[in-house]
Amino acid sequence: MTRVSALFSAKGKLSDHIAGFSPRKAQTSMAEQVEQAIENKHALIVEAGTGTGKTFAYLAPALELKTKAIISTGTKNLQEQLFHRDLPLLRKALGSNQRTALLKGRANYLCLNRLRQHRGNSTLLDGQTLSELTQVRTWASTTTSGDIGELKTLPEDARVIPLVTSTVDNCLGKDCPDLEDCYLFKARRKAMEADVVVVNHHLFFADMALKDTGFGELIPEADLIVFDEAHQIPDIASEYFGEALSTRQLQDTCRDISMLYRTTLKDAQQLDKAAEKCRMLSADLRILFPDTPQRGNWQQALRRQEVSSCLSRISESLSGLYEVVKLHLGRDKELDNLFDRVSEMRSRLTTLTDTYQTGVSLWYETTQRHLVMHLTPLSIADKFRGFVESPKRGWVFTSATLVVDESFDHFQRLMGLSDAHTLALGSPFDYAKQAMLCVPRFLPEPSSPAMRSTLLDIAKQLVDASNGRCFLLFTSHAALRDVAAQLSEQVDNPILVQGSTTKQALLQQYLDDPRAVLLGTGAFWEGVDVRGSDLVCVMIDKLPFAAPDDPLLQARIEDCRKRGLNPFANIQIPQAVITLKQGAGRLIRDETDKGVLVICDNRLVTKDYGKTFIASLPEMKRTRTLSESLAFLRALNEEQHEPVSD
Amino acid sequence: MTTVTFYQLNEESDREPDQQLSAVCHIAAAWYSAKKRCVIWCADQASAEHVDEWLWQLPADRFIPHNLTGEGPQGGAPVELAWQQQHIGRPFLINMAASVPENITRYQQIAEFVPADEPGKQAARQRYKEYQRAGCDMAFMPVNKLYEKHDG
Repeated sequence: MTRVSALFSAKGKLSDHIAGFSPRKAQTSMAEQVEQAIENKHALIVEAGTGTGKTFAYLAPALELKTKAIISTGTKNLQEQLFHRDLPLLRKALGSNQRTALLKGRANYLCLNRLRQHRGNSTLLDGQTLSELTQVRTWASTTTSGDIGELKTLPEDARVIPLVTSTVDNCLGKDCPDLEDCYLFKARRKAMEADVVVVNHHLFFADMALKDTGFGELIPEADLIVFDEAHQIPDIASEYFGEALSTRQLQDTCRDISMLYRTTLKDAQQLDKAAEKCRMLSADLRILFPDTPQRGNWQQALRRQEVSSCLSRISESLSGLYEVVKLHLGRDKELDNLFDRVSEMRSRLTTLTDTYQTGVSLWYETTQRHLVMHLTPLSIADKFRGFVESPKRGWVFTSATLVVDESFDHFQRLMGLSDAHTLALGSPFDYAKQAMLCVPRFLPEPSSPAMRSTLLDIAKQLVDASNGRCFLLFTSHAALRDVAAQLSEQVDNPILVQGSTTKQALLQQYLDDPRAVLLGTGAFWEGVDVRGSDLVCVMIDKLPFAAPDDPLLQARIEDCRKRGLNPFANIQIPQAVITLKQGAGRLIRDETDKGVLVICDNRLVTKDYGKTFIASLPEMKRTRTLSESLAFLRALNEEQHEPVSD
Repeated sequence: MTTVTFYQLNEESDREPDQQLSAVCHIAAAWYSAKKRCVIWCADQASAEHVDEWLWQLPADRFIPHNLTGEGPQGGAPVELAWQQQHIGRPFLINMAASVPENITRYQQIAEFVPADEPGKQAARQRYKEYQRAGCDMAFMPVNKLYEKHDG
């Protein structure tokens, strides 16, 4: 028995110290494999079905073997759970002295220097932002961590946040007068001194791609790097290995320059003029695209005369700005930093308008007010492989959804991890007894206009049978809005719709009202953990294939074709399988959970590739008889409301 | 020429309750993997839905993409479950109904069953005669042969 398997045994420390812990074979074997990955310094990929207990399976070996570890997870919420709940519990159980730290991205920490800049200069801010600023000031005098998340009254997207936090661009770094008290700096120093650091994927890859400094120094030290929710990292990594430039960045920089002219460099009016010109031009660029936010092929957009000429004017004005700022170098630390930002943006703009590059996709997206130009590498496999291979250390990639049709190929190919050890652990749940998968008969074809009314009809029957307690998950906002509007007229259960408030708040409303129905898209397909009778039914409107007009996807498809492979089988199906597994995973969260999954897409039954989806989903009892699912739900509903006998 | 194969079913027993359905799945699977588009012709919609349920519950490694008449993509899935004559337009047919299909000679191959019960047997004999009259190539074998051939 190894040190780690001893921990997980019936007489081990976990059984002794953690209430409700009992040895589970899958969890123990994952922990043993993690132990080996640490000792032999290799990469390990583990799919651990819901309920395996994967968190303990990687944390316990890391603590027990006194490993310097970085744990990266999907969201800030999960980071907090790990740091505030799981790690303390395990440290206590194991009697471990390993020091732990939580590190979030830069945008989460109050920047004292930026906060001071907004003192007294309130003419540029609207009323709402001003009142938020007052809240921040009050809180700033008491906080010890500087983590904006502590300010629960502030919405996640409050406009004040970018004003009082820093970005890589506007951070003064070592030149900052507030460096001694800098919260970000302190959090990073704490992370440097810790043995186990909890980060999130965005932070990890931002640093790995050397876009930021600080935490990056930590990566070389680590003996073990764990990615939980690892199915998310191919996309996130691609994003950070690419380049982007937004009109917002351009405008923010220009605004900062104007601000500097108004506050400290009052004699340098050319600064303001040059900045203003550049700011106007970048606003013009947005107007050349349709009002409704969209994504598109940037290479194609550049072929439009007015777009390319607008860009050359932006580029010229940026060069002009560069020259003007250069004249004043050395006068002000802030301005020196702005000079670096301007020259960085200049070079990025050149890269983003170079249409002769290969192996990358150039695309853009527009928001209400801005346009973002993107360059994304088509594959990050080679780059990432190099990173994993040297220096040698333990790597763990784990998630409930990595395997497609019994194989890790898809994930390994994306991440360049062909040599990694792999382990697939089934869930301990008895899906055949606990859950039912229904694809109703005689559905219209997925893209048919008749589908909406069919969805509405099925949703109504499900809501009725389960009396709420349903998630209706959609692949498009249009379908979501349509069904939401009609459903709220036709059932009297409260209908909660994504977008009306934040995800957390909506979930709380759902939990507070036992008859509520929740309708959501993307965000609710993963990372939602509603247990027991609070969620007995999940309806999915369509197989979640990525939108074929997504420019990055198109570039990848084209590239795949050029290499003689079938893009549908190699890219689109695996991606949709992982997404569907995530969505389906919302239903059964516990050994006693029961429920029905209804997928309103008959391609699951009629197409050859239905097999790949079926083979990748947990083994639920399958039916095509909707009435059977409704009966199952009614029975659950009655069970729930039976008087409890004592 | 149309080849018709009659499979003799065993006495119904607890040990193998759904032998006809198993055989239907077996033949449909073989035709599907040989890319032969087939139709399973059922007595009525209820029996078609019963077969549908059965196919849908096969283990993933024996998955057979199929549709009922009235659903599915244009041109249908590799296997179609039908209960109305006019929809049958495929060269391979598995007959679970009590009568023979129209236009017998349009089919390349037809699979048929001889139930163990007396009325069923009678109806099968009747169908056998009709196929013979239409000039089909006839074959007859116990249903177990189906699996032997496959395994051997």
